[in-house]
Amino acid sequence: MSVSRRLAWGELKEHKRIYTVIVIVIALTMTSFMLENAYLNYMMQVVDDTTKVITSDAVITDGSCNIRDLYGTEKELKDAGNIAKKIERELPDYETTIRVTAQGTYGLGTAGEAVDACTIQGIDPSDDAKISGIKDKIVEGRFFNSGDHILRGHTPLYIKIEGPGSLPDFTYGSGQRLMQEEEPYPIIVGATVAKIHPSVGVGKTLFLTLGMSGRETSYAVVTVKVVGLYESGTPTLDALMWFMHADSLREIKGYGTITGKDWTVPGVGTFRGFNPITIDKNRGDVILVKAPEPLTRLDPVGYSEAVKESVKDIVPDLNVFSWHDFLVYIAGSMQDVVTIMLWGSIAVTLFLCGAAIKYVMDSIILRKTREIGALKAFGARDRVIFKIFLYQGLVLGVIAGLVGIILSIIVMNLVNWYGFNVQFIAGTQLKIGFIINWLTILVAMLLPIILSVLAAAFPAKKAAKLSPVEALRKGELSL
Amino acid sequence: MPKASKPIVKLECVSKKYNEYGVEVKALDAASLEIYSGEFVSIIGPSGCGKSTLLHCMGLLDRPSSGVVYIDGKDTSKISGLEIALFRGEKLGFVFQNYNLIPRLTVLENVMLPGWIMEKDALQLEKKAHGLLKEVGIAHRTDHKGIHLSGGEQQKVAIARALINDPVLVLADEPTGALDSENSREIMKLLVKMNEKRKSTFVFVSHDMDIARYGRRTIVLKDGKIIGDTAKNHVGFDGALKKLGRNANNKQRRKQQ
Repeated sequence: MSVSRRLAWGELKEHKRIYTVIVIVIALTMTSFMLENAYLNYMMQVVDDTTKVITSDAVITDGSCNIRDLYGTEKELKDAGNIAKKIERELPDYETTIRVTAQGTYGLGTAGEAVDACTIQGIDPSDDAKISGIKDKIVEGRFFNSGDHILRGHTPLYIKIEGPGSLPDFTYGSGQRLMQEEEPYPIIVGATVAKIHPSVGVGKTLFLTLGMSGRETSYAVVTVKVVGLYESGTPTLDALMWFMHADSLREIKGYGTITGKDWTVPGVGTFRGFNPITIDKNRGDVILVKAPEPLTRLDPVGYSEAVKESVKDIVPDLNVFSWHDFLVYIAGSMQDVVTIMLWGSIAVTLFLCGAAIKYVMDSIILRKTREIGALKAFGARDRVIFKIFLYQGLVLGVIAGLVGIILSIIVMNLVNWYGFNVQFIAGTQLKIGFIINWLTILVAMLLPIILSVLAAAFPAKKAAKLSPVEALRKGELSL
Repeated sequence: MPKASKPIVKLECVSKKYNEYGVEVKALDAASLEIYSGEFVSIIGPSGCGKSTLLHCMGLLDRPSSGVVYIDGKDTSKISGLEIALFRGEKLGFVFQNYNLIPRLTVLENVMLPGWIMEKDALQLEKKAHGLLKEVGIAHRTDHKGIHLSGGEQQKVAIARALINDPVLVLADEPTGALDSENSREIMKLLVKMNEKRKSTFVFVSHDMDIARYGRRTIVLKDGKIIGDTAKNHVGFDGALKKLGRNANNKQRRKQQ
């Protein structure tokens, strides 16, 4: 063992009380950092899983669309297939999905008495695993299967609105009868909705009125049958967002080659005939872009913006929204505030711990000036003295980091084992959980080491630079 | 005095100036001397005469403002800042007034400390440290912490520590300054014994004339100048002391009384 390390250990032992206090404070700060970060990771994972069904990491829309349209744009993205291919070509690690969306309303209870709003996301089951993972979140019923009537093969009921601002004046009449006789489109609904509305549940049929402004401001009325309920972890979003097969929505929106002719339902109006329709999978409303997983969730905002910028460079004429843009749109900058507050509080505490280490070492050096002078007289070079104090900082940092990490892992396991739930809206419960990643552990380990080594470096340098004569003299004066 | 050999320490016109509050203070003024192997030298002089400064310059703890210090034939002004520490550790041993033992280390570890700094072989170092502790008569306290020893015992440990790297020169700054008269005598006898037995060169500073008398050669300093040297002037200790004038003699007389 080198003389620096021997003497450093001795110093640590001699000042173990004050150093223990400092280590505990740093360790608890790291525990708090780990817990907050792991909980934030968990919450963000929950929010990500839900909101990223709409946006993935970035979403491309037509240049005229705004962020509100991400709920269900009514404007088709021209040439979606080629744009998607271009992005995958230029950003090989990125994946794209052409998505069809719609916004609509559905009746609750007695027809016409109450309505609620929903956003329909058309998902392609083959892309679902990589984009939304909704299949894994089904809590009742099932996901789409091959036996479902994804395509109805006939005409949705379209009601054309005559003038701006006017509402459609129609009754279900023969149109409703027509729809009731047809196979409904399968749909997956948020479990929250089923809890709020008894008329919504697995196996129940609903009438959806979807806005189709791309088709000269008209509505499409379709029948849907609930095949499954999903729970994303964010009940509010579950209530708003429903899922249909992408091809079902393509059929409703007419994204294909339509060979049928218009036809008339007496007493209702003239309808466009879709039968038969060849679905064009390259047609859609938005393109979802999935970027490679970030190394860490420590800076989700920065990562989201970086993904947006890289996509924007490829499609400069189109609108690109990041997941973070969408999050800010629906929830304000709460996420950013939480992240800033987390880092802010950690920074302040660590700064104070660093100042404490520096202060303690400064006072030790002041008391030990004569010892330092003697060591120099015995041939100790500056770096030997420097290392004595640096080693102390290093040991403090390593112990604080390890204790902090171990403590936080214990707390996380205890919470997970006990299973804390908090009440959320509409009788739903939000589970408290933690997601810890290796980089967070690495940061929690390195941060106290860097801090304490840095804090020790200043007094260590001061001690190393002491002239032997001055050190011996000052020591004598201090007696 | 074996003058045929090369001097262990040679000071050539060494001066040391300090700047205190804008006023230049000359602590050492053109001091020249030669100390030979095996000598046991005391440096005396009134307070503030530059005794410690002379010792610090000899010990390479301080750089002279002008002049050259040769240690073991080497011009130390040509040794770089980094190397001087190594040179000091290799060639010199120090005994301080306040012992400067590291309180958290044992007696044995304290003796081994300069050897650790010079990265000497641990086993040989331990063996040597045990031998030295036996020589200074403190072997029974090998595993005790330095802080638990009496002043006299601590200084014995410090003497053993000063000799661990086989220095060519041992410098002692007021080695008995913190001890009572009985312990002081014991320490001085020990230093004389180590000088005779190990043939090491010892230079010590003392303001106490009784202690200074232990030196077989005495150098007298006044106002930064060497005004007497029993070796050069061929006078005994009392003769050298006369150079300091009345005050020193008075002090000596007072002490004798």
